Amino acid sequence: MQCSKCGNPKVIYKREQSGQILCKDCFIESIEKKAIKTVKKEKLLDKGDKVLVALSGGKDSVTTLEVLNSFRERNIIDICAVTVDEGIANYRQEGVDIAIRHAQRLGIEHKVVSLKDEYGITLDEIMQRENHKGSCTYCGVFRRTIINKAAREMGATKIATGHNLDDEVQGIIMNYLEGNTDNLTKLGAKSESQAEEFTVKIKPLREIPEREIGLYVVAKDLEVHFDSCPYAMQSFRGEVSELINQLTEKHPTIKYSTLRGYDKIKNILKDELKKDYAHGRCSRCGEPASNELCKACSFLEELGL
Amino acid sequence: MTFILKYKQLNEERDIPHENYTIKDLLKELELSAQTMVSKQNGELVIEDTVIQDGDEIQLVQIIYGG
Repeated sequence: MQCSKCGNPKVIYKREQSGQILCKDCFIESIEKKAIKTVKKEKLLDKGDKVLVALSGGKDSVTTLEVLNSFRERNIIDICAVTVDEGIANYRQEGVDIAIRHAQRLGIEHKVVSLKDEYGITLDEIMQRENHKGSCTYCGVFRRTIINKAAREMGATKIATGHNLDDEVQGIIMNYLEGNTDNLTKLGAKSESQAEEFTVKIKPLREIPEREIGLYVVAKDLEVHFDSCPYAMQSFRGEVSELINQLTEKHPTIKYSTLRGYDKIKNILKDELKKDYAHGRCSRCGEPASNELCKACSFLEELGL
Repeated sequence: MTFILKYKQLNEERDIPHENYTIKDLLKELELSAQTMVSKQNGELVIEDTVIQDGDEIQLVQIIYGG
C-alpha cells in the first residue's frame, strides 16, 4: 500500500469517499488545501479583514486558527481570538490554557471571557438551580452573545467558527426533521445577519469531515483539548449524528451529497422563507433583539441576575 | 507473541490472538468505533488495516467525543 499522491509507503489515511490513500504530509496538505479552497470558493475573506477566531482549544477551533494563520502569514488578514470560559469544573480550564498557548505561539491578540465575569454566574452554578432550561440552552446563547460582543470590542470584521462537515450536515437534517425552516435558511459557509451589530460569521472547515480534522491535529502534533463536556447528554443532534454515521458506512459520500444538495436550494429557501426581523434593541443591554429583552438578558432575568 | 496497548489510562501487554491480527480487529474487540479513533504503531500514525507485530506498541487516540 502506498500514498496515492507521492508513492510513500507510510500511509496514515484511507479516504473511503474517494478511495484515496495518503501519507502524513499529503494528508496534512489535502486538509489545508480543502479549507483554503472553501475560503476562496465561498469568498469568506476580504483583504484587510480582522478575523476573530472563536477558540475553545478543541480540534476544530485550533484547526481553524491554523488554516487562517496561513492567510495572516501572507499579510492578507489579521487574526484575533476569544475563548469563552463557561465555568465548568474539571473540564474547561484545560481548553482555556491550550487556547492561551496557541495565541502566544502565533503572537495574536487574545482574550478569555468568563460567564462569571460577564454575568456573575458560572454554568455549573446555573445547573444547580431548580427548573433550569438545560446546560446547552444557556451555554449556546451566552457564548454567542460574548463572541459577538468581543468581535465588536476587538474591531473584528469576521468571526470564524470551527464548524465541520459533520456539524453542517447534522444541522441540515435536524432542522429539516424538526420542520425548522427558519433555522434552515441560516446555515451555510457565511452567515450574515440583518443587524449590523452582528459580525459576519464564516466556517472555513465546513467541507471537512470531523474525523479528518481529528487526524489532522494529531498528524500535525497540534496541542488540543480532547475531552467530552460533562453536560453532553443524549441530544437530538447526537441521535441524528449516529444515524448519518451509520448511513456513511455503506454510502461514504452521503455527507457531501447532503451538503451539496442543501447548497443548491439554500438561496431559494432564503428568498422564500426569510423573515423580516424587527430591528429592536434589548431594553436591558442594548444588544439587537426582536423582543423587549434579548435571549441572554431574558435568561438572566429568569435567573434573578 | 504480545504487544503493548496504550489507550487513555490503559497501558497493558496483550496477546496477539492470531496471524494477520489488525488494529481494526483490536478496535472491534474493544468495541471502539474506528470513526472516533486514530491509531499509532510504535509512535507513528497508521491505518486500521495495519497488522500488529510481536513487540509493537499500539496507541489508540480518541479524537471524537459526543457533545
